[in-house]
Amino acid sequence: MPTLKMILNGQEVFVDVEAGDLLADVLRDKLGLIGTKISCGEGECGACAVLVDGRAVDSCLYPALKAQGREVTTIEGLGQDNRLDPIQQAFIDKTAPQCGYCIPGMVISAKALLDENPHPTRQEIEEGISGNLCRCTGYYQIIEAIELAAERLAEKGGPK
Amino acid sequence: MWDEYLFPASLDEALEMLEAHGGEARIIAGGTDLVLQSQRGQCSAKVMVDITRIPGLDYIEERDGLIYIGAQVTHGQVAASPLIRSRAGVLAQGCGSVGGPQIRNVGTLVGNVVNALPAADGAIALFALDAEVEVAERAGRHWTPIATLYAGVGLCTVDPCAAMITQLRFRALGKGEAGAFERLAKRRALVLPILNAAAIVGLKGNKVERARIAIGPVAQTPFVAAEAAEALVGRTPDEDRISRVAQLAAQAAQPRDSLLRGSAEYRKVMAGVLVRRALWRAVEAASLQEGEDANS
Amino acid sequence: MSNRVVGQSVPKIDAATKVRGQRKFPQDFNMKGQLYAKVVWSEYPHARVLKIDVSPAEALPGVVAILTSKDVPVNEYGINIVDQPVLVGEGEKVRWLGDRIAIVIGESEKIAQEARQLVRVEYEPLPVVSDPREAMKPGAPLIHEERGDSNILKHVKIRKGDIEKGFAEADVVIEKYYLTPHVEHAYMQPEAGVGYIDEKGRVTVIAAAQWSHDDLHQISHMLDLPLDQVREIVPAIGGAFGGREDMYIQHLLALCAYCVRRPVKMVFDREESIRNTGKRHPYYMKYRTGATRDGKLTAVEIELISDAGGYASTSIPVLNNAASFAAGPYVVPHAKVDAYTVYTNNAVTMAMRGFGSTQPAFAYEMQMNKLAEALGVDPVELRMKNLLEDGSIALTGNPMPKGVGIKETLRQAALGAGWREEGDQWIKPDLGTPSAPYRRRGIGVACGYKNVGYSFGFDDKSKVIVELALDESGEVARALVKLGASDQGMGAHTALAQIAAEALGIDYEKVRVALVDTSVVPNGGSCSASRHVYMSGNAIIRACQEAVRKRQEALRTGERRVSVEYEYHGRSVRPTTPYDDENGMCDPHISYGYTSQIALVEVDVETGQTEVLKFLAAQDVGKAINPEMVKGQAGGGVHMGLGYALTEEFIQKEGLVKTRRFSEYHIPTVADMPREFIPFIVEVPDPTGPFGAKGVGEMTTLPTAPAIISAIHDAVGVWIDNLPATAEKVWWKMREKAGMA
Repeated sequence: MPTLKMILNGQEVFVDVEAGDLLADVLRDKLGLIGTKISCGEGECGACAVLVDGRAVDSCLYPALKAQGREVTTIEGLGQDNRLDPIQQAFIDKTAPQCGYCIPGMVISAKALLDENPHPTRQEIEEGISGNLCRCTGYYQIIEAIELAAERLAEKGGPK
Repeated sequence: MWDEYLFPASLDEALEMLEAHGGEARIIAGGTDLVLQSQRGQCSAKVMVDITRIPGLDYIEERDGLIYIGAQVTHGQVAASPLIRSRAGVLAQGCGSVGGPQIRNVGTLVGNVVNALPAADGAIALFALDAEVEVAERAGRHWTPIATLYAGVGLCTVDPCAAMITQLRFRALGKGEAGAFERLAKRRALVLPILNAAAIVGLKGNKVERARIAIGPVAQTPFVAAEAAEALVGRTPDEDRISRVAQLAAQAAQPRDSLLRGSAEYRKVMAGVLVRRALWRAVEAASLQEGEDANS
Repeated sequence: MSNRVVGQSVPKIDAATKVRGQRKFPQDFNMKGQLYAKVVWSEYPHARVLKIDVSPAEALPGVVAILTSKDVPVNEYGINIVDQPVLVGEGEKVRWLGDRIAIVIGESEKIAQEARQLVRVEYEPLPVVSDPREAMKPGAPLIHEERGDSNILKHVKIRKGDIEKGFAEADVVIEKYYLTPHVEHAYMQPEAGVGYIDEKGRVTVIAAAQWSHDDLHQISHMLDLPLDQVREIVPAIGGAFGGREDMYIQHLLALCAYCVRRPVKMVFDREESIRNTGKRHPYYMKYRTGATRDGKLTAVEIELISDAGGYASTSIPVLNNAASFAAGPYVVPHAKVDAYTVYTNNAVTMAMRGFGSTQPAFAYEMQMNKLAEALGVDPVELRMKNLLEDGSIALTGNPMPKGVGIKETLRQAALGAGWREEGDQWIKPDLGTPSAPYRRRGIGVACGYKNVGYSFGFDDKSKVIVELALDESGEVARALVKLGASDQGMGAHTALAQIAAEALGIDYEKVRVALVDTSVVPNGGSCSASRHVYMSGNAIIRACQEAVRKRQEALRTGERRVSVEYEYHGRSVRPTTPYDDENGMCDPHISYGYTSQIALVEVDVETGQTEVLKFLAAQDVGKAINPEMVKGQAGGGVHMGLGYALTEEFIQKEGLVKTRRFSEYHIPTVADMPREFIPFIVEVPDPTGPFGAKGVGEMTTLPTAPAIISAIHDAVGVWIDNLPATAEKVWWKMREKAGMA
C-alpha cells in the first residue's frame, strides 16, 4: 500500500492509501477531517473543495496520490490557533451559512479567490464561487460575506 | 478503480511504463474525467501513469509565430494566460467555460482533446485555431492535425495505453485577426453546453482573408464548417454576409434530438445564431486589431 | 417596550461550527465496529418480483447479512397512509424505482457495494402508468389493487357561492391549462446515517429528519417494538425543504441495527438520492377566471390533478392545501374547485417548500396577469382591487384572521421596482435599455400566501422543556431549551433561542438549544409548514413565563434549577376545521404569511434564453425575529423558484429517471441568480404569533416562477404555461407567435 506524504494544514502527514483512493475519502475516512463534504461525487458542486498548493480543487475527483508532496489545506486548516480566518468570521457575520453543508467548500473557494485577487469585483466573486452549489441561500449572503472579508483583509494589509 | 498509480520522471519513462503494462496502463493528467470514467466502469485500466510531474510539459509559449501548450497545462492556466488572451482569445474563452474553477484548476486542455467529445469547449476553440497535436510513442514523436485524433464520440485515435499527447500548437493570431467563442447551455455556469461555436476571422482592409468556424456538438466529432467559412473569404464581412455564412454553417451542422440537450431543429437554428454572433464579435475584434500591432 | 434580542440579527447559533467544518452531519458519524449497508433498488417502475437470489452475494467474503422482506417484522410504513413496503418480497409488486428489494450489509463499504451487484432479482414487468390523467380513467392499470378499484387517492371539492351567477357577472373570462413539473429537493447533503443499539438496548438511528418523533412511530410499528425501545438522534441537517419529512433512510438504518445488532452505516450517493427519494408534486391545472370590466373577480372554476407517484406519502394533505389556496390571495365570491391526487408509477411525491401552495400559485398568478392584459389594467392595480384584507371571506368561506399583510408586501415591492401610485392607479416603471439589440426587457409581478402550522382540524402542537440553571445570586446563568424541532439550516434553533432569551430577559448567549434526541427532547412537531417560530415560539414564550415565575419561588427556597414543560396547541387560539364533504367550507389554517415579488428580465429573442436582472421580494412575516435570517429565506426561496421557472427539469420516461446527477439536473448556480436582489421585510403582526411573528420558510418560493414567467411575456409576448421556461421552450413559443411553426 503506497504511502501518501503531504503537508496537510501545515503539518507533515504520512498516510497509507490505496492507489485508487480519492483525496476526499482519504481526508474524511483515514484522517478524520470531516469538514470536507461529499455531495455530488462528480465535480459538479464544490462541497469537497480543498486547496492543493493554494489552488482550489474538487477532492472527490482528485486521486489522493496526486497530492504526494503537496501542500493541502482543508477547512480545518483555516484560521490560527483558536482564531477564525477573516473569511470564516465574515461568513458568520453575514449569516451566510444555512444548512452549512456547502459552506466549507464555499469558504475554501473564497480563500483561493482572495489569496489571488484581494480586491475582487462582485463579478469576480461570482466567478470564484461558480463551481460551488448551494441550495439554501440564493448565494447573496455568501457574496456579501466574501466582500466583507475582502474589506477587512484590506484594512489589515492583505490576506495570509 | 485502478490498482497502481505511477509518476514517471520523464516522457520516455512514461512510455516505458505503458509498454511494460501491455495495455493495462494508461496516461492520466488532471483526471477530472478519468476518475468518473473509472468509477462508472468506462475505463478499465489498472495502472495510472500520471504525467503531471514530468519536467518541461507545463509551458504556454510562442515560438516563431506558433503558440505551444504543454500537456500539463490546465484550462484555468489557458484561460488566464496573457499570451492566449491576446493571441488566441477564442481559446481562453473556450477554456474559461469548462466546468467550474476547481475543475479548470485540474483538468488539462490536452485531456479535453483526448476525451474526444464533440462538445468540449476547449477542443472546439482548438478546431477553429486549426491546431496540431504532437503524439509521442515509443517509435518517436510526430505532429498531426487535431481532427485526425477524432474517430467518434469519445473515441480518440491516440491510444492512451500506448501513447500520449505531449503538446499542442497553433498559429498565433496576428494583425487583423481575431476569434470569438459562443456557447448556449441550460444554465450560466458549471454545465456542459447544448451548443458551442468558435470562429476565427482574419481581415485585410475591409475584406476577409481567412475564416474558420467550429461547432459542437452537432456531429460525432467537433464540426468544422469549412464551406461556410469559405463563403466569407474575399468578402466584406457586413451583417448580411455574416448572416448568410452563419446560415450555411447551420445548414451543414447535423445536431440530433437529445433528451437533455434539446431538439435537433432548435439546435440547428441555434448553430446559426451562435456562429453569426461569434463571427460578428471576431470581425469587430479583428477590425480593432487591424489598426494596431497585435504583437504589442 | 422594545425587544432586546428579538428583531436583532444575532449570529446563528450553529454558524461558528459550520464555518469551521466541525459541525457533524449524518455522514460524519462513525462508530466502533460499524458495518456498511447498501440498498438493492428496484429496476422497474412497475413490476412483480418473481425471484430474489441472494446466494451469490452471500458467498462474498465480508458479507454479514442480506436483509429481505422476510426480515422485516411488520413490512409496511407511510407518513400519512401506511401503503409502502419496507422491502418488496417475492410475489409482491414494485411501484416505482425507489422501491427496495434487499439491503446488503458488509464489513466494508466496498464489500457491500460489490455484493449488491451480485443480488439477482427476476421481475415480471407490468404496464407503467406515467400520466395521472390517464391513471384516473376507469380501466387504467391499478397501482394499488389492495386499495380499491381506482388510482385516485383523494378528491377534494369546494363549492362557494353560485358559479353560474359568478361567470354571468363576468365581462372577461380567462381559461387556461397549466402544468408544473416534478422538482428534486436537491439538498446538498445526501441521505446518510448510522443505526445501532444503544446502551439501553434501544434501536437507535442517527440521521437527518424533519420530524423525528413521527419517524419513531413508524419505526416502532415496523419493528413491532414499543416506542420507548426506539430512538432517533438528529445532528446537523444538510438541507431538507420537505424532503426529509418522510423516511428514506431512517427506517432502513433501524432495520439494519435491529437485525444485526451492530452499528451499521449507510450513505446514499447523489444518484441514489435523486433516483430513489420523493419529489415535488407535478400539478395539472385547469383554470377559468371571470372578472368585471372594472377589474373585480367574480368567479373561478378550477381543476387540479396531482401526480402522487407510487405511494401516497403526504399527497392528500398536500392536495388539501393546494385546494384551499387555489384561488390565490383574492376575494372571489363564486368558486368551484375539484382537486384530485392520483397514484402513478412515477417518483413518489411529497412535501416540498410550499406544501401544495406553490403549484396553484403559478396558475392563479398567471391568470391574474393574463386578466390584467385582457382588461388593459396594470397588474399591480388589478391585484390591489382584489387582494384579501383582515376579515375578507376566503375561498373556503372563512373570514381571514387579523394580520393580512399582502397589500403592504405588494405596495413595497411595486414602489421598490419603480411603480408610481396615483390615487387608485398604479403606473409601471420604464425598464431601461436592453444590454444588446437582440434582447428585450420585461417586468412581472406575482403574489402568494401560505399557511403557518398544520391545518384542517389537525391538532398542531409543540411541546417544550425549558430548564434554567441559576447562579449563586439567583440570576439565570444558563437556559436550556429542549424540543424536538429539527433545524434543517434555516435557523429555527437560533430564532427559538432568541425568543427564549427575550421571554426570559437574559442574553442570547446564555441560551442553548438541545440536540434533537428523542430520548431527551419532547415532540415539537415537524420542521415543516413554516411552523416552528409560530408554534414552538408560542410554546417557548409560555414555558419561559412559567419558568420566570418558578425562579421567584426558587429564589425563596434556594433551589438552583428550574424546569418547566409546556405544550402549546394551535387550536387553543385558532381552531381549524376540516373540509365539509359537500361544499368544502371550513376554517382551514391557523395563521398565514404573505408575499409579493417582482422580476425584471431580459430575454434573448434569438435563443429564447432568459436572464433575471433584478428581483424584488417582499415578505410579511409578522415580526422578523432575525432579519438577516429572513433575508436568507428570501434568497433561498427565490433560488428555488428561479430553478422552478427556468433551469430545473426532472425528466422521467415511463417511470425511469433520466436526470440522475447534478450534471443533468440543474439547480441555479450563483451566475444564474438575479444580478440585483432586493428583499423587503414587512411586519404586519399576527396578534396570536410570538411577538407578532408568523412564518417565512416556504412562502418565499411561491411567486417567483409566475413573476419571472410574466416578465418573459412582458418582454417577448409569449406565455409559458408549463414550467420550466427553458430557452428552447420560449424559442418555440416565439416562433409560433411569429407564425413560423
